[in-house]
Amino acid sequence: MRGADYLLKRTAFALVTVFIAVSINFALFRLAPGSAVSNLSRVPHATQETRQALKKQFGLDKSRGKQYVLYLQQLAHGNFGVSFANSQPVASNLRTAIANTLPMVLLGTLFAIVVGTFTGVIAAWRRGTGVEGATVTSALAFYSMPTHWLGLMLVILFAGILPTGGMTNDFLIDPSWWTHLQDVLKHMILPSLTLGLVLFGEYTLIVRSAMLETLGEDYILTARAKGLKPWAIVRKHALRNAMLPIATLVALSLGYIVAGAILVETVFSWPGIGRAVYDAVLARDYPMLQGAFLVLTVSVVFFNLLADLLYFKLDPRITE
Amino acid sequence: MSIVINEPGLIAEPEPIRSRGGIVWDTIRRRPSATIGATVLSLIIVCAVLAPWIAPYGLHEQVGPPFGPPSWEHPLGLDDGGIDMVTLLMWGARISLVVGFAATLVSMLIGGTIGVTAGYFGGKVDGVLMRITDYFLVIPDVPLMIVVAAIWGPSLFHIVIVIGILLWTSTARVIRAQVKSVRERVYVKRARALGAGHVRIVMRHVLPQVAPLLIANTVLTIAVAVFDETALAFLGLGDPSRISLGKVIENAFQRAAISSGAWWAIVPPGVVVALLILSCSLLGQALEDALNPRLRVAHVSARGFRLRPLVGRNADAL
Amino acid sequence: MSALLETEDLQVWFDLPGGGTLHAVQGVSLGLERGERLGLVGESGCGKTTTALALMGLLPANATVSGRVLLDGTDILRGAEETMRPHRWVDLSMVFQGAMNAFNPVKTVGSQIVEVLELHQRAVGRAARLRTGELLAAVGIPDDRADRYPHEFSGGMRQRAAIAMALACNPSVLIADEPTTALDVMVQAQILELLDSLCRDFGLALLLVTHDLPVVAQLCDRGAVMYAGELVEHGSVDALFHAPCHPYTRLLFAATPDLHGDGLPASIPGAPPRLDRQNEGCPFRPRCDRAFARCVDQRPLLRTVAPEHGAACHLNDVAAEVAH
Repeated sequence: MRGADYLLKRTAFALVTVFIAVSINFALFRLAPGSAVSNLSRVPHATQETRQALKKQFGLDKSRGKQYVLYLQQLAHGNFGVSFANSQPVASNLRTAIANTLPMVLLGTLFAIVVGTFTGVIAAWRRGTGVEGATVTSALAFYSMPTHWLGLMLVILFAGILPTGGMTNDFLIDPSWWTHLQDVLKHMILPSLTLGLVLFGEYTLIVRSAMLETLGEDYILTARAKGLKPWAIVRKHALRNAMLPIATLVALSLGYIVAGAILVETVFSWPGIGRAVYDAVLARDYPMLQGAFLVLTVSVVFFNLLADLLYFKLDPRITE
Repeated sequence: MSIVINEPGLIAEPEPIRSRGGIVWDTIRRRPSATIGATVLSLIIVCAVLAPWIAPYGLHEQVGPPFGPPSWEHPLGLDDGGIDMVTLLMWGARISLVVGFAATLVSMLIGGTIGVTAGYFGGKVDGVLMRITDYFLVIPDVPLMIVVAAIWGPSLFHIVIVIGILLWTSTARVIRAQVKSVRERVYVKRARALGAGHVRIVMRHVLPQVAPLLIANTVLTIAVAVFDETALAFLGLGDPSRISLGKVIENAFQRAAISSGAWWAIVPPGVVVALLILSCSLLGQALEDALNPRLRVAHVSARGFRLRPLVGRNADAL
Repeated sequence: MSALLETEDLQVWFDLPGGGTLHAVQGVSLGLERGERLGLVGESGCGKTTTALALMGLLPANATVSGRVLLDGTDILRGAEETMRPHRWVDLSMVFQGAMNAFNPVKTVGSQIVEVLELHQRAVGRAARLRTGELLAAVGIPDDRADRYPHEFSGGMRQRAAIAMALACNPSVLIADEPTTALDVMVQAQILELLDSLCRDFGLALLLVTHDLPVVAQLCDRGAVMYAGELVEHGSVDALFHAPCHPYTRLLFAATPDLHGDGLPASIPGAPPRLDRQNEGCPFRPRCDRAFARCVDQRPLLRTVAPEHGAACHLNDVAAEVAH
């Protein structure tokens, strides 16, 4: 199979990165001096017995090396520890949180990709005109706005028109499936829009850059020489090729998407993994913080791998 | 000195670099985006640096009711503690800039060292260093920053270090690429042949060539560092004893500025941050473009080539 | 009977990014008859490629053009892009430098030839694929290669495929811009062979743009020499080699190394003039070994010095004056 090598390499890279992240996680919490270490077993409001049991479970009475192994074993079993805040297993807290975050983030990212690509192509196409200037300026403007601040701006603008907090309307009692869905979607608009607007700014600039680069390639000149009309050239040749650098750069923006998600969920009180991070920080709920960090990192690594695969599919030159 | 036309690219080669410091200055003067970026950035820096002397009121001086609206004496109103917003913004910009510059310095030192080492020595050293860089590139920075800041405790110093140790990756890559190309140049090879030590070569030959690109990258990194600081401050991980622009926004958020209708407590600090990031981005991007110019023209665009009516210049036709 | 392809006073300016304009082509008038082979020569940057591109209107948005491009007597430059496009590939087609990526790397070579057949309605679907196979066979490429990607072809094969693609719609003029640069010597010879035989078999007129003079000697009947955007001499290849009437031509052809070198004479000291400003007098004067007083402030005009032989040099003018 073509490029089996490449796929294997990228997957191995992903796995190693996850391993490194896991180890960093361990190092930060267990090896860090001070309260964090002993906090791990100090679930508030727990009885002395529970504390002892947890201490044993996390091996806090054993050597660092043994703790590390124990930690890895527990992770493999999906045991992320117990949250200080609600005394629930971190894993189940996270599961709910992720389920809430994904649709919101996906909506925002999709918006950014679609609108960003469109404006980027237009800006490159109309190089040197006022349209390009205006598009680039607004893209830069949105790109420069701190995500959380933009969120607050939107709250100010849309308060009263769109819901600005939470994921659902608490006053809806026993709603039907359809009403519930509508309710969630309405709540999703502002947070997704905030995330999308800042992201779209970056994407416009990237797409425009990739398009201009592509439009300067030799085969574009050949296509024109062959008698193709300008827009047909863009459609049939340029777009396809510009997708390559775009795919890579979208992958690189994943780190930002995560940051954006955390900030947006905090502003809009969206009960997702970003908000979980914020709450965990406030409450110094270290197990939750650790777990969330791990989940976020693994997600990013995973999507990066997906981007690698996509790139591989798009570019026939990659075989190695 | 002739202009070479890179056919079929057909654009004149950029003017050669006259002096090394020159190109930065040159770009700022010539490209409008760089000029705007540099001007706005300088303005903000000047205001921030001179804050203790030119701020209209005291930083902790309550001059009116909480969330007092804008008026002639207080064009941007008051915050929840009754403190003048303009004053807050000036002092806040100071801390934000300090964090931004300091964190960037840390990241430049790390990234620059790694980049130069990897690019200069190549081979195994390069491989290992780049592998490490790749891993760090993938791991999302903000969550890691949050975790480290949460464990370590909030203080200005910690924040600077935390941001700095995560921003170096892009610098490392860019510098490495540049060093690699410089290393192949004739005068470097000659110096090696003459027995010059590595350190000497790096200091005298490599660094000066790499400097402009390093500056461009630095400016762009400052933009990211400022953003990261506002993000951390917003999440409550900023230094509680210092007021940065991010903290101003966080305060407003925490003290329910929105429901009080006090938009002036939220909008201006964000605008200043946005301007700061925007000016750094414009400047940094323009510098990068100037150093790595795109020599090719788009072969296809909405506008076609223009036609001029026949210009008479008599020559015997064939 | 008018020539197949002619230009009259072709001028091209480019807008420079920092402001100002570059006058890349300064009044070039050429003619190409049916089946004729013309070599357009000159050093890098003299405007020969720009001229070639202008013939098909392939100039970017920062270009301004004036003059006429006559195809069978009709000015196709008149309406810029709109009047030029219908003639691309069906009347005039082009083969680019060997180093260039004429093919889109993410599509198969075959599909790109089919594209051109379908676009100009020569064949569709299955018939198009068959025809593609035939075209590739004509240039010596086995037709199973049609479904491969460009990066799977060697440089020489890619160039041959490009030639096949250029002939797909039976044009009457083939413009070849440095078709053998960046290809290795053995391959160069093959490509030239191929061009020679194809042009002969299909009765194509060939405009060969190159800085490589032995190639011109091998393939072309006539030559035109460009310097600093101007046409300084034109005539039969024989005349240019043995009886040049312009110092630049003389130095250029005399400096040709015996082996296939990389063309450009390192032996003419100096550099061509800047094209972003107005120049006085003869553009070649600073490097000329026979310059005199008149060359400083008067531009020489292209004049006929012999039947089918023209040159732009004051030396000829002086000789002509003396003869009267």
